[in-house]
Amino acid sequence: MNALLAAGNAPTTFEGATNTVAVLLLLTEFAMLRASLSRSQVHLYAVQSFLVSVLAVIVAAARDLPELYALAVVSLLLKAGAVPWLINRLLRDARVEIAGSGAIGVASATLLSLALAGFGFFAVGSLDIRSRFLPHAALGLSVSIVLVAFVLMIVRRDVVSQAVGFFSLENGVSLASLVVAAGMPLIIEVAFLFDLLVAVVVFGVLMRVHHHRTASLSTESLTSLQG
Amino acid sequence: MSLSTYAVQALQPLTVLVAAPGLSGWIAKVEARLQGRRGPRVLQPYYDLVKLFGKESLAPEGTSWFFLAAPVVAMCCYLTVPLLIPVLTTFGLPLGYTGDIIGGSFLLALASFSVAVAAAESGAPYAQLGASRSKTFGAITEPVMLFVVFSVALITATDLPYAQAAAVRSSGAQVIRPAHLLASAALFLVILYETARIPVETHTGTNEFGMIEEARVFEHSGPQLALLKWGSAMKQLILYTILIDVFLAPWGLASTTGALSVALAVGALLGKAALLGCVVAVIDNSFAKLRLFKISEFVAAAFLLAVLAVFTLYLGGG
Repeated sequence: MNALLAAGNAPTTFEGATNTVAVLLLLTEFAMLRASLSRSQVHLYAVQSFLVSVLAVIVAAARDLPELYALAVVSLLLKAGAVPWLINRLLRDARVEIAGSGAIGVASATLLSLALAGFGFFAVGSLDIRSRFLPHAALGLSVSIVLVAFVLMIVRRDVVSQAVGFFSLENGVSLASLVVAAGMPLIIEVAFLFDLLVAVVVFGVLMRVHHHRTASLSTESLTSLQG
Repeated sequence: MSLSTYAVQALQPLTVLVAAPGLSGWIAKVEARLQGRRGPRVLQPYYDLVKLFGKESLAPEGTSWFFLAAPVVAMCCYLTVPLLIPVLTTFGLPLGYTGDIIGGSFLLALASFSVAVAAAESGAPYAQLGASRSKTFGAITEPVMLFVVFSVALITATDLPYAQAAAVRSSGAQVIRPAHLLASAALFLVILYETARIPVETHTGTNEFGMIEEARVFEHSGPQLALLKWGSAMKQLILYTILIDVFLAPWGLASTTGALSVALAVGALLGKAALLGCVVAVIDNSFAKLRLFKISEFVAAAFLLAVLAVFTLYLGGG
């Protein structure tokens, strides 16, 4: 009943805007789940990273946290620029266009991740964590993004989807960090971003080696034993 | 000069009845212009209706009376729905509160059900295919409508379309909240499906295998076919009205029963519907028709948006 009453009052424009951007983040995650071209998955990842930067700018402007502007710029350059560019280059070298098909159909994957997203929403919602910087719903959304990213990594059978799933999982974590600790020192946030770069290098090497061994980016060939 | 509320009430279905074929003609015209063709006249659907009403009506052998009655039933449903939704006024007219959004949805579902039964009765393969397909995908689009209604109910604590429109008008914060945007987007996708627009099926031409809604009327002829075509045009305008006057832009409605403000409201409704029609025509020209088995993904996307709208509302952040 409390939830009903709370929903009866419209949130403020700031809350509405931040929640809308957070929901868009979750929607891009769902779009990645159904994208059939590796290239479009990478594009969607770039869009999602851009949205994280937008969110950081909104929070910086509304809550007067100037260091978040710097974070937004650095994250925009790295995650919406450098990382997608690198993966695209690797893809061009591998000459693979179509991402591996999922273990289950797109519609069932969507419904499965919808159920998981709902679980994330309500599990976190019942914890009742409050923040000065972002509205309540954003934390639940970030957990949903992480869970859907897991689904993406589990059901899709190719290296690119798994890499993109991992990177977008990091986007969900960034959203959570914006909610919980927007005032966190810039240096820690930037350290996170460089962690991501390490992950990109690792996944890049994985893609290269895997493509070199099996002439494809599909992970299905990994199930057969090699003597 | 002020009209009686009953006159305004009667004017609502009348506006939809008269303007609906014009909207179809307008969309066809815009679509043709976008493709570099001259296209048919905007008034062409009216001429088609006149022509069809002048022909005799035939029924396939072995069909019962319902085959000929179904178009009339559907038409009655489409004439009743505009009584329940804010077509011209911001306030509920005398009959406006006899049914809520669910009542309106039931009437629309009843209309489509009776057309599907008539198509199934005809025994013709294409008509039956269309009927069975429209019911198959309808099994996913109707939950979407339900979730849109739930989100309206959570926002306004009622399920009256008038209350939702008033909530949207009340402040900008109501427009930008994610639940409202998600529910509107989900409703728009359902409308693309229900009005047989491009990601789902081609609206014109004779692409029999891919047809869903349009295939159901294959066996009807003469006045019955005219009623079905008119009805589907009315359904289009009704759904546009719900999207525009309840969710997207409930501005420009009459707040009194003055003749001038009602006339302005008619103009505003037609202008907004024509704009939405342009958007639909652009979508028609920029996307390809989905394969039949991909349509379930399209409606699953709509379902996702609608369910997310309710989720965000329950967390108190929607």
